Amino acid sequence: MHKIRYIAGKEVRHILRDSRSLMIAILMPILMTFVYGYAINLDTKNIRLAVLDFDRSVDSRELASRFYNSGYFLKPQVPPALSDPEKILRSGQAHAVLVIRAGLARALTNFTDYELGLLVDGADANVAAATGSYSNIMVASFLEDRMPYGFEVPGVRISQQVLYNSNLESSHFFVPGLIAIILMMISAMLTSVTIAREKETGTMEQLLTSPVTPRQIIIGKVLPYIALALLDAVLVIIFAMFHFGVPFAGSMLLLLFFGLIYVAAALSLGILISTLVSTQQLAMMMAQLTTVLPSVMLSGYIFEIKNMPAVLRYVSYLVPARYFIRIIRGVMLKGSDLSVLWGEAVFLVILAVVLLAIATKRFQLKIG
Amino acid sequence: MVRTILALMKKEFLQVFRDRNMLRMIFIMPIFQLILLGYVASTDVKLISTAVYDHDRSELSREYVRSLSAGEYFITDAPSIPLLEAERGFKENKYEAVLIIPDGFSNDLEQSKSVDVGFMVDGTNANSASIALGYASLMTRQFNERVTGFSPPIKLTQRKLFNPEGESVYYMVPGIVALLLTMITAMLSAMAIVREREIGTLEQLMVTPIRTPALILGKTIPFALIGFVEISLALFVGIMWFKIPFAGSWVLLYSLAFLYLFTTLGTGMFISTISTTQQQAMFFTWFFAMFAIMTSGFFAPIANMPKSIQYLTYLNPLRYFMTTVRGIMMKGASLDVLYPEVIAMIIFGLAIFTFSWMRFSKRVK
Amino acid sequence: MDNAVVIDKLTKTFGNFVAVDQISLTVGEGEIFGFLGANGAGKTTAIRMLCGLLLPTSGRGTVSGFDIYKENEEIKKSIGYMSQKFSLYQDLTGEENLWFYGSVYQIPKDDLRKRMDELSESLGLSEFIDRPAGSLPVGWRQRLALGASLLHRPKILFLDEPTGGVDPVFRRRFWEILYSLADEGTTLFVTTHYMDEAEFCRRISIMHQGRIIEVGKPQDLIEKYNQPNLQETFISLISRESVNAQD
Repeated sequence: MHKIRYIAGKEVRHILRDSRSLMIAILMPILMTFVYGYAINLDTKNIRLAVLDFDRSVDSRELASRFYNSGYFLKPQVPPALSDPEKILRSGQAHAVLVIRAGLARALTNFTDYELGLLVDGADANVAAATGSYSNIMVASFLEDRMPYGFEVPGVRISQQVLYNSNLESSHFFVPGLIAIILMMISAMLTSVTIAREKETGTMEQLLTSPVTPRQIIIGKVLPYIALALLDAVLVIIFAMFHFGVPFAGSMLLLLFFGLIYVAAALSLGILISTLVSTQQLAMMMAQLTTVLPSVMLSGYIFEIKNMPAVLRYVSYLVPARYFIRIIRGVMLKGSDLSVLWGEAVFLVILAVVLLAIATKRFQLKIG
Repeated sequence: MVRTILALMKKEFLQVFRDRNMLRMIFIMPIFQLILLGYVASTDVKLISTAVYDHDRSELSREYVRSLSAGEYFITDAPSIPLLEAERGFKENKYEAVLIIPDGFSNDLEQSKSVDVGFMVDGTNANSASIALGYASLMTRQFNERVTGFSPPIKLTQRKLFNPEGESVYYMVPGIVALLLTMITAMLSAMAIVREREIGTLEQLMVTPIRTPALILGKTIPFALIGFVEISLALFVGIMWFKIPFAGSWVLLYSLAFLYLFTTLGTGMFISTISTTQQQAMFFTWFFAMFAIMTSGFFAPIANMPKSIQYLTYLNPLRYFMTTVRGIMMKGASLDVLYPEVIAMIIFGLAIFTFSWMRFSKRVK
Repeated sequence: MDNAVVIDKLTKTFGNFVAVDQISLTVGEGEIFGFLGANGAGKTTAIRMLCGLLLPTSGRGTVSGFDIYKENEEIKKSIGYMSQKFSLYQDLTGEENLWFYGSVYQIPKDDLRKRMDELSESLGLSEFIDRPAGSLPVGWRQRLALGASLLHRPKILFLDEPTGGVDPVFRRRFWEILYSLADEGTTLFVTTHYMDEAEFCRRISIMHQGRIIEVGKPQDLIEKYNQPNLQETFISLISRESVNAQD
């Protein structure tokens, strides 16, 4: 038992001295939390909209100010010197151009048909969609206010309700999932690198000639990283809750339990990788490719799995982060418990067990 | 001196092409990531699974549901859970939205009155949720016009300029091209210099009458060339495989890429002065690149970021190159539109390259 | 005979640590000079200053008549350097390595070709010159490295433990080559731990903790300190210095 403690202690000293490990373990999570919390915000706002007002009436000015006061649209810094909507978009001065032809005021008084034109820069499809959506809302509410008092516009009205994250904060979506990424980075990447390093420098061989068993070596090496990973996870959660206001609606115990299973899966991956490579450099590259990359891209963290081609959808079933991210988001944002998350739980446990088995088998084969 | 530079370049190329890991890193991995990202990176919101609780069960209500699911936005389904427990469906991630149609639906509509339907949305993915709400209201409006015959006098017609198909890929791939160029040229040049230091050949070179400018050029030019091959490859894959449009001038793109290389190679040089091992060099590059990518407007528009971070992004050279590549490829942008970005890239290029050059020279002495 | 290397009170400090402490030396042209000392005595630092890799903190020196502060470039053109660390490019063949360094030294192409053939013959490189340098056994690699350092016919050759890890047969051969170089007029400045090699040198100096504690012909020093051989001389000198330092 104390042999494990000794190996773990040695590992801690390595970590403290290796600036790179320290950075990955401490600096990166902090910075990533900031970046994902603030910078990666897909809620489109501050859309630069140029208004070409050819009607120049009280009504047209009111319409324009409604757009600008909504918080979605911004007036471009420089008033467009050009009057051609296409040219304005090409110049990059604005993202969208609203053209108010002459006749708006008249159409409103006489209740005749009138067309407003909106030209949108379609390059960023997401922003284009949002622009269209918001504009529709603006025009609709502008019209509603114009309706005679008591007049009800016939038709279906949507009474909407947003469940969970009712303020639609981007950070609530990204920051909890970040925990899965960080845990994977530390548990898989750092672990594979450190084991590979011992192989590369020959100290693994040295260790094996001593009365320490391979199992003790692995446990000892891996323990500090587990501690580090959990510490980071806790830090991110605290940050998420107190800085970004992410709720914790469900059971902490449940999250901890599945966190440990997830970490076990990640560690197994790390160990597995270390048995496949001979140098630290390769370990890092391979770890990034097979653990961090899929966890970010294929897990549903940012990009929807259902939008992906079939092949990639199948591959995503093998990514542990996919399940754990659902679990974290469920537990923190929705207060989900095991009765609704059992599917993810089962998959995660199976993956972890299988990976652990493969990793230990290979490790013993290679070393023992 | 030219001879020395050529000799250095030849040596560098020999080394790169004989190192299989290096080759994998330069050619296979980036293209692999390009293809992967091309397929995966879409922030399109569609196929929103919606459970419909139709308490009216009339022809009209069914037509309303049909109109919602026309197009790719919503996939409507009869719910398997009673309404009171609908929340469980959200927690199980069975569906992302719930539509509740009250039983007076068709009556009210036939009497030309307004009727409220409930639309509940899972706010976890904030972006999808708000876009879903937008689509719902759009589809509803269209339905209203058809059914009530009452069309609002003021209509908004929209037209998209550039990327009318709304393909995310067209937007992502040029971004990826910019990324690749950045990562590869910076990382490789940093590692190349550090490797020489690590194995001792740098010292051997220092003992020769080689001049520092020759050394620097000899070690950066090969990677500039590899960078060009890299983007050409990426563009080829993007255009052939993903059918990305190319609306602008190739010459302009390559010229500006050349300009941008001063920044990336300068950064590589800088990193080589703060790393002692190749792994450190690789790691530092990755570290810088991560943040450059996140704040470059690659997949989240800079306009969405808080003001303070927006100001910070002005210091990110990748931001300008990203705008440039996307502008040229998607909008056929030319110099008169891109000149602010070009000026920024010139400033950054000169500043970073010169600073790193001086730092490197000093270290060498 | 002109002096190849002249140094006067050369010093190098790194912060508070004095690596080289006011050493003074002269080495004549065509001499084989042995630069001895225990590990960490400051030998490598001293050599690096002479090669222009490090700027001294104080003191003066000329190498091949050129000032080590101001005429660095000239010095580099007339010296060769073979370091402890094997510094040829591992994935390049011997031939590619030689061609590369030849180009860096601006040797005209035809001359370079001839020179490479010459060296290949005299050093026995042709057997393995087509193989990647990293795949060669140590002895051959060192010969290749020696060849690379001789391409531009340097007047002075600095060799920092050139035969470390090489078997006795190779070592003997190596020194035969060194002797013929010296006969041709090249000055050799060698550091080594092998005492038998030290005895090959015409004169030696012994460094300890940054200072030169003794200079002279090996045989003279053996007699002066009344020791059976150079190894014992060396050891007794070093331990004496350590004892003195403790007082």
